[in-house]
Amino acid sequence: METLKAIAKKSPIWIAYLAALLGLPLVFDSILAISIFNQMAIGIVFALSYNMLLGQGGMLSFGHAVYFGLGGFLAVHTLILIEFETVYFSIIFIPVIGGVIGLLAAIFIGSFSTRKAGTVFAMISLGIGELIAASSLIFSDFFGGEAGISGDRTYGPTFFGVDFTQNDQIYYVAAIWVFIATLFMYLFTQTPAGRMANAVRDNPERAQFIGYSSRRIRFISFCASGLFAGIAGGLFALNYEFITEENLNAATSGRVLLMAYIGGLGYFIGPIIGAVVLTLMNSLLSNYTELWMLYLGIMFLLTVIYLPRGFAGFIMMHQVAWINNRIKSLGVPYLLIGLPSLVLLAGIIAMVEMSDHEGEAFYYFGFKLNPESFVTWAVVLVISLSAYAGVRAALPQLKQAWESANAVPDSEDPKS
Amino acid sequence: MLEVFVFATLNGLVTGLLLFMLASGLTLIFSMMGVLNFAHASFYMLGAYFAYSISLKTGFWVGLIFAPLLVGVLGALVERYGLRRVHRSGHVAELVFTFGLAFLIDEAVQFFWGADTKNYRSPDILDFPLFTMFGQEFPAYRGFMIGISVMIFIALYYVLTKSRVGIIIQAAITHPNTVANLGHNVPLIFMGVFGVGTALAGLAGVIAGPVLTTFPGMALVLGSIVFVIVVIGGLGSLPGALIASLLVGLLQSYAIASDVGMPELLELIGVSFDRNHPLNDLWTLSLPQIAPILPYLLLVLVLIFRPAGLLGKREE
Amino acid sequence: MSILTLNNISKSFGQTEIIRGVNLAIEDGEKHAIIGPNGAGKSTLFHLISGLHTVTGGSIKFKDQEIQNRPAFEINRLGLARSFQVTNIFHRMSVFENVRCALLWSKGFRYSFWHLLGRQGELNDASMHVLEEIGLSDRAQYPAGELAYAAQRALELGIAIASGADLIMLDEPVAGMNISEAQSAVELIRKVTSGKTLIMVEHDMNIVFDIADRISVLVYGEIIATDVPEKIRANPRVQEAYLGEVPNSA
Repeated sequence: METLKAIAKKSPIWIAYLAALLGLPLVFDSILAISIFNQMAIGIVFALSYNMLLGQGGMLSFGHAVYFGLGGFLAVHTLILIEFETVYFSIIFIPVIGGVIGLLAAIFIGSFSTRKAGTVFAMISLGIGELIAASSLIFSDFFGGEAGISGDRTYGPTFFGVDFTQNDQIYYVAAIWVFIATLFMYLFTQTPAGRMANAVRDNPERAQFIGYSSRRIRFISFCASGLFAGIAGGLFALNYEFITEENLNAATSGRVLLMAYIGGLGYFIGPIIGAVVLTLMNSLLSNYTELWMLYLGIMFLLTVIYLPRGFAGFIMMHQVAWINNRIKSLGVPYLLIGLPSLVLLAGIIAMVEMSDHEGEAFYYFGFKLNPESFVTWAVVLVISLSAYAGVRAALPQLKQAWESANAVPDSEDPKS
Repeated sequence: MLEVFVFATLNGLVTGLLLFMLASGLTLIFSMMGVLNFAHASFYMLGAYFAYSISLKTGFWVGLIFAPLLVGVLGALVERYGLRRVHRSGHVAELVFTFGLAFLIDEAVQFFWGADTKNYRSPDILDFPLFTMFGQEFPAYRGFMIGISVMIFIALYYVLTKSRVGIIIQAAITHPNTVANLGHNVPLIFMGVFGVGTALAGLAGVIAGPVLTTFPGMALVLGSIVFVIVVIGGLGSLPGALIASLLVGLLQSYAIASDVGMPELLELIGVSFDRNHPLNDLWTLSLPQIAPILPYLLLVLVLIFRPAGLLGKREE
Repeated sequence: MSILTLNNISKSFGQTEIIRGVNLAIEDGEKHAIIGPNGAGKSTLFHLISGLHTVTGGSIKFKDQEIQNRPAFEINRLGLARSFQVTNIFHRMSVFENVRCALLWSKGFRYSFWHLLGRQGELNDASMHVLEEIGLSDRAQYPAGELAYAAQRALELGIAIASGADLIMLDEPVAGMNISEAQSAVELIRKVTSGKTLIMVEHDMNIVFDIADRISVLVYGEIIATDVPEKIRANPRVQEAYLGEVPNSA
């Protein structure tokens, strides 16, 4: 244990991460900001846990919310037990309860669902997810029916005088948990089980020929991801003090898939990026436009087609160019294609928003747009088309710069 | 008792055939391309909405013909410009793509048509009782639904087994590379099959819209069930999909129609529970209550014990 | 002493019989080549021995233990490793990681999720050693999928031998290579399999006659001859069934 802490302390990235987590509320201290940070924290742990399954392990699950939700439900029930003093411990340990439940559920379900990966696994996960979500409406004593159940985190022993009535107090608890969870999920990837999970993802057949049962590896990844999803569920319970069947169902499972995928699978930092981006879109963008879900859907689909490795993948695509020391050569080509692309995007969004606003003028990045005015439409269209032309023109030189920056040297050694 | 049984069977048949219309398209697409089209129910929804908009201007029957065509064309375009590109990133990426597509179509429908329920009505011509039994009427429209479904399936059967295109498709289902080597344009076939599969889903939407209500959540209502059916019936098997569709349709119909509860069943074996028992929720379940769960339970059981489904052929 | 014995092995897929009654005994330390026309069942035989397929009949003994129908990972743990005809590496992981994973089980790590690999000096040194042996130490950090074809084949070989297996099965190791690449590959194979038993499926007769102590000829799922190279070359049944690339310098 000491050596683990020593390693962590030595690495500057981890220190920066912890500092960022703890320091954010000092920079942005509005109530909205704190609420967003709390959501991000939950999202980060949840998405990272999902990545253990999909990105690291190659298992696509449509039912991951089960472990999140079950963890959350047990957490809220524990809050209630603490309130009535049937048990008595500080609420900062609630995520432990969530984690344990997530782990137990994953052990049970994983025992029969990890036999195969691929489509069969995805279907089983969907079936189990729907089964449990539907069952939760039936067992209304435990799950509270459609209204869900609620608890109060201000009971139990205070922590150094803090009773967690305020959201920023609970944020610090969440921040510590996020740090611990991230650290352990990262460390898992550096262990034999974590590395073999990658190997089984890449080539389950070959993994057997180096002595490992692919099924057993998948099972371990599955249980670990259930554990951390349960912790995320516990954090949810602490933040909202309330949980419903919705937190178990396919929609929540879909949301975490979105987060992990957009952020980038297979890269540890990907889901963190995804959780941050999606939480921001959810909270901020929804204030500016009703259509943010539509944009999210389009963005998701485009990511799947053009950026299958997500934002993180996009960054990591430059790995070879970095090794070759040719990153700088890509600067100008990116600029030449980036600017027109942004303008094109702005133009398309403007047109979509104008269609939605049905006759009322509205403000768009400081410009007043009037959907009734033919001139407005013409101007936006012309700008968009020229931007598109700019993108097409800049493409070939980007391709060329990319290819030359990415050449893999072949060894001259005859022994290779 | 008999009347309940008869009507439940008929309703189950309507549902089952409708489900098969969706499941058959899904199975064809899966067999050919190995992709489980998550967005299949979304095309069903599009069919209903397109038909609704068309019917506002020109009536139900025009919508019946053109809406499925529109959906099919859209499906073919999606295959050509979306799915085909994602194909090289692997099966997981394909599944995620179709999942994202479902999400997008859902949002797009709300964008273009609004979030309210649409008043998509069945044609007045069919607004009469087909027959009356034991005082209950069976609407002609439902009879129409059965009729159309059966006609489509007969047509599908003949195309697949007797026509040249059908035989090529059957071959390409199990041996796409061989078929390509024989000189057939497999990508075109893929696009065609995806288009036809989605058109079938759209047709299901056109005829189901008036009965199952046309609203943005309609894809979700049927979406999972169709997957369950395709898996239970055996990924890649049309006869299996038919059996499973009818099974699920009838099962749900009987479960909803009968009012048998667990307590009655348990009493038959001499067990009774007092109200305060912790498992009270479980034991006071009635069949109608658990009707929605039954398909998923069946899905999980089949996947555990017989991952190939009842009649499955395609190996992953 | 026989390290691997095949006793009346047969395999059918549905109605089609692929392997019909194969009997073979491989001696410890022997370099044995299996040749035969395409479709004879050579790869299937490999799959049966390594545990990818179940046998329809017969038994396989490896180091005096019956291994037929046992899962591949169990067989591998007994000391049997193989490579594949189509390159089968962990393409998204680095070259170094590929080899390190191949070493994990034999170094005793099992399913540990508490050992940090960065701090396992002995394991990492052993991995670098394997990389040096196969000539890929300068490309250790590259994603395996980005390597040139011949380098990937070398990695394939490295993964197979890394765990120190006693019996190494190579399925067409030089397929798709040009002459100089193939020569380097053969040198490598000779080096890394010295002291071990090698079974090799190969079409290139030069290589076969160069490396093999004995050759078995598989035709239509049956072995029609097993003998030293000179006798195989002179065998009329072999000549009749399989006109391979017999070297001009006889």
